[in-house]
Amino acid sequence: MEEAQVVGLLVRRCVGGDAAAWEEIVQRYHRRIYNVCYRFAGDSDNAQDLTQEVFIKMYRTLNTYDSGKGAFMTWVTAITRNLLVDHFRKTKGDRITDSLDSTASEHEDAQPLSERIADGGLAPDAAVQKRETREMVHLALQSLSPELREAVILRDLQDMDYREIATALRVPEGTVKSRINRGRAELARLLQRTYKQVI
Amino acid sequence: MVDETKHGIDCTEFEALLSDAMDGDGLSAARKQSFEAHRHVCAVCGPLFADAQAGREWLRSLEAVEPPAHLVHNILVATSGVVSRRTLPTRADGRTTPLGERAREWWDSYAAPVSAFVRQPRFAMSFGMIFFSFSLGLSVAGVKPKDVAKVSLRPAVVRHAYNDAQIKVVQYYDNIRFVYEIESKVRELKRANTPAEPAEQKQNPKNNTSGQPEQRQDRNYSQDYNQPVFAALREAPPAVSTTTNRRSV
Ligand SMILES: [Zn+2]
Repeated sequence: MEEAQVVGLLVRRCVGGDAAAWEEIVQRYHRRIYNVCYRFAGDSDNAQDLTQEVFIKMYRTLNTYDSGKGAFMTWVTAITRNLLVDHFRKTKGDRITDSLDSTASEHEDAQPLSERIADGGLAPDAAVQKRETREMVHLALQSLSPELREAVILRDLQDMDYREIATALRVPEGTVKSRINRGRAELARLLQRTYKQVI
Repeated sequence: MVDETKHGIDCTEFEALLSDAMDGDGLSAARKQSFEAHRHVCAVCGPLFADAQAGREWLRSLEAVEPPAHLVHNILVATSGVVSRRTLPTRADGRTTPLGERAREWWDSYAAPVSAFVRQPRFAMSFGMIFFSFSLGLSVAGVKPKDVAKVSLRPAVVRHAYNDAQIKVVQYYDNIRFVYEIESKVRELKRANTPAEPAEQKQNPKNNTSGQPEQRQDRNYSQDYNQPVFAALREAPPAVSTTTNRRSV
């Protein structure tokens, strides 16, 4: 069965009250949603809260999902994005201090075991450097405007295509592309500028 | 951006083609040629291409992160309220957990403090990172490096601040380790006294999850980049309070 069919079936079972089907949906999608939230909000605590809110919202509105109108993942992304908008508005005031205050990236340590072993073979400096580079990128990402940030997250980290992103964000495809270009370029400039000061 | 036609396409067209061109598909050979030609001669688009490409590389260096192990459990508790054995090592019906699962629980009780320690970001933060987040904050806030020149950045002063931070981290770690040690001792004692410990899963009351459709659409972060967004812009609060219980494992 194709992914779309499997998910369609799960949704129908779930709307019919099947708890196991719901659990399967949570198992399938929580990683992706958590990653979007983590890269957008910047830290694990907020990402966990947001992911949980996304699923609460999904659970309540699952009966409104119409497979004819697009892929399930696009629908889920739209829900996630709406909650991220709310989150951004709520926390707007303390963003600058946040980025100063925290390294925000507890996860850059939590790499897969295989890689941790591989890293063990590297000179410690190289491994540390690699991790710190990722931390810097993660921090710099938090400095992008939310419109640019969400666009590059969905494209470069979640590998969604332009049409899916446009549907989830409810903006034209041209706007999506332009935000992705600007987001990437701005991130690079920010990193290059800051990098020069550090090194 | 000055819209100057160079080699058949102008800067606006160049930007429109940029993401497709970087994806390596979607451009006809002729279009690709005009694009490349424009890139090499235009003082605006050339650097834009280079930056966008670098940005994409940085972004793609970020790997997917693994959510905390208790996240699925918490989501299920907050939604359907039904948590199966697949998600939860202990059983809801009060029967003893199978040996394998108990062993895993035992292992977790030892592994958890270790991984929590490994994940302590401040602990792993080097001097470079501290300085990076400091300068990033300034860049974002629009502060230029020369404005900071008056701030004391003498190595001795900075080192002092860094050492301070490290001492705090070490103290914090010691405290946490102490708590974990106590915790695991208590757990051991409990296990010794109650060999067939019944599962103590708390069934949280169901959050109201009636399937009322709620659709909020066309939302944006702000009307204008620099305009404040007031709380009044938010629609009526949801009927259900979405309390999250991240820590209840
Ligand atoms: Zn140009």
